[in-house]
Amino acid sequence: MLPLLYVVFSAMTADPAVWRRLWTTRVPELFLNTLSLSLGVAVINLTLGISLAWILTRYTFAGSRIWDWLLILPLSIPSYVLAYTYTYLLKRGGTLEQIWQTIAGPEAVFFSPFSFSGAVLVLALNTFPFVYLLARSALKNFNVSFEEVARTTGAGRVTTFFRVSLPLIRPSLIAGLFLAILYVASDFGAVSLLRFQTFTYAVYQQMTGRFDNTAAACLSLVLVACAFVFLFGERWFRQRSRFYQTTGRYRKPLPQPCRPLTALLFTGYLVLVFGAAFGLPVLLLIQWTIKATSAGEISHEFIGYVWNSVSLSGITATTALICGIPLAYLACRRRTWASTFCVQGAYTGYVLPGPVAALAVLVLVSQIVPQLYGTILVLLMAYLVHFLPAALQGMESTLQQLTPNLEEAARSLGARSFRTFFHVTLPLVRGGFLSAWILVFVQCMKELPASLLLRPVGFDTLAVRIWLEASEELYQLAAPPALLIVVITIPVVLLLMQKDQT
Amino acid sequence: MPRVFFLLFVVVVALALPSWNYAEDTLVVYSGRAERLIQPVLDAFQAESGISIQMLTADSTALINRLQMEGARTPADVLITNDAGTLERARELQLFQPTTIPGIEETIPGRFRAPDNSWIGLSGRIWVIIYNTTMVRPGDISSILDLADPQWKGKIAIPSAGSVYLQTGVSVIRAVKGDEITTAFLRGLKDNAGEFVYGKNRQIVAAVARGEVAAGPVNHYYINRHLAKHPDAPIAPLLTDQGEQGMGVVLNAAGIGITAHTKRLEQARALIRFLISPKGQRTFAEVNKEYPLNPHVTAAPELLPLQSFQVARVPLSRLAQLRDPTMTVIEDVGLR
Repeated sequence: MLPLLYVVFSAMTADPAVWRRLWTTRVPELFLNTLSLSLGVAVINLTLGISLAWILTRYTFAGSRIWDWLLILPLSIPSYVLAYTYTYLLKRGGTLEQIWQTIAGPEAVFFSPFSFSGAVLVLALNTFPFVYLLARSALKNFNVSFEEVARTTGAGRVTTFFRVSLPLIRPSLIAGLFLAILYVASDFGAVSLLRFQTFTYAVYQQMTGRFDNTAAACLSLVLVACAFVFLFGERWFRQRSRFYQTTGRYRKPLPQPCRPLTALLFTGYLVLVFGAAFGLPVLLLIQWTIKATSAGEISHEFIGYVWNSVSLSGITATTALICGIPLAYLACRRRTWASTFCVQGAYTGYVLPGPVAALAVLVLVSQIVPQLYGTILVLLMAYLVHFLPAALQGMESTLQQLTPNLEEAARSLGARSFRTFFHVTLPLVRGGFLSAWILVFVQCMKELPASLLLRPVGFDTLAVRIWLEASEELYQLAAPPALLIVVITIPVVLLLMQKDQT
Repeated sequence: MPRVFFLLFVVVVALALPSWNYAEDTLVVYSGRAERLIQPVLDAFQAESGISIQMLTADSTALINRLQMEGARTPADVLITNDAGTLERARELQLFQPTTIPGIEETIPGRFRAPDNSWIGLSGRIWVIIYNTTMVRPGDISSILDLADPQWKGKIAIPSAGSVYLQTGVSVIRAVKGDEITTAFLRGLKDNAGEFVYGKNRQIVAAVARGEVAAGPVNHYYINRHLAKHPDAPIAPLLTDQGEQGMGVVLNAAGIGITAHTKRLEQARALIRFLISPKGQRTFAEVNKEYPLNPHVTAAPELLPLQSFQVARVPLSRLAQLRDPTMTVIEDVGLR
């Protein structure tokens, strides 16, 4: 919270001329770009998410159960990794263009990855599982009676879908879209590699391209303000659209078997989406990694990068937990004005895009404890500001499920609060806390902008290596660390998914 | 459980700590140059001197900001960047210290150094126009300003606004021609380039070689690099603004400076001595087909000799003051 205030402060005290210049030149363009990118991604996400969820909840066919799992795997690819594989796939004379030219004639050109379409494609493929997941769970718990009523009163399939089913799952769709758009607006990795100017990317560019950080702070302020408006907008929207089950007549939808041809069609569609979002990029990474390994391009330094990433992520996750436990505890057990303020303050990190979090920590550190600048602690702070909210959320929900009676029983038997916490509470919430730890760990492994801006000398992380090599278009050199991150992330994504289902 | 966490924490910190400290005799280099271009020469230096090197690669401007924030605590001993403007900026901010290197007057000409030797140029690159030989005749373009002519609409590719090369080029044009002509030039450039705005020079070269566009401004060595891989590519460099009235081609230098607060002055000096020596110059410049600035070292044979053409007479050190207003001009025109 404090870092954020600092950014606000330095933006407020900026020279009016800087503001005027930004408002007249950069802000309108950036706003339009960010907005149109979000909308483009939203449209594709809705189409993909709803259609995939519909197919998988309403029909069964050979292999239809596997897709439940496969379709969340795209979440394990960091946006910058997906972006860099697509700069290769979509480049002029690249694989996709050659395929396209054999279909559409030799003169046909594919769109460049470094364009609006390229950015939309990459980010949509990266985020559609959000919408898909929420649409799927909504459709699974859907009461089919509503549809049946519509059908018996004479509505056709299509009308029923658009007038009855879709509005009913709307809250879930909006929640999914909200996540996706927040992700797009705060994404740095993909837009920086595809050089698509959004607010987040512009903040980074102003930080690295100019000799003072005022302009970056101003843009951050505008971005954070937009994020807050969006956040409250979403809350308001969700409160307005609630649907209730009024009677006890609830029937789950039963997936129907479908004809072989339809099944083939569905499978083809699923393979296409999955291949584009996960299969093809990962195959490329594997191929490049093999090439790089056999060419001896993986140096002994690689182990060092792995160690940097793993140790720093581990320390951050542990620190996040240690800092988070009292906060989460306060939020659940002792709700006071001050504790709510503290917890909500920590949550502001959620809406801070990476470069802004980095800028905030940078400004704060340079004002208060300049001795720390250039040390690992600064990076750790930036990670914490950014990822503590995720840890808090996980811990809070676990703590909430635990009845206070158990703790009260321990206290009444004479245990002091410390003892109670360590011997009663902690063992019971271990699982939830562990998954919070893992979540933060993985987020840190993937973190890019703050690592780029704040890393100490000789402390390149895997993500930094990927970005440096990929922006030089050295595809093979970027592949091994990218593959490693994906491999580490997959089990975590599956784990979280499993929790979601039970 | 908490004990396990705590133990894990301590172990991880203990194991990781050594890797965060730099040994006494390790020279810390902040570098704004692509790693692949600088690693060979640093390796050669390590092999010869036994001094090991730690490098931090980042954007040149970001490195200056960083040095400034770190102040006296900076771990950096030297800064290497690809842009003399950035080096001069660092000197103005007193991030460098003046040095005396024996024989420097004979090895690096005065116009490629700061007056007090706070920074020393190592290699030069010129901003030329690459053109597709099947689409353009060399006579069609004589000045860089010609690229803004409407006849090239949709036919040229340009670097993105973030490119230091573009910023340097525009700074020089501003210094020689003034803001009005520069703004008109940039407007024309923007209109003509349309979608063809690239972050990397290499992409401009590739676009010209494929014939997607006819021409574009790039650093000279990207052309040589492309030709080395594809000798038959229909591309050639064009030196603009020559002749009596011409402003000359834009030249920028990569260089090095010793930080004001280094604790390893001797090792830093040794690195500079190595980099300006014939061997160092050759390795430093030749990986990238740049011009060695030591006149006793000949450039790669495929390059036109540095003495054979006219270079813009804007002193490298002026690039520093020109930089911020140039950024504003570029942003005002709305280049991406």
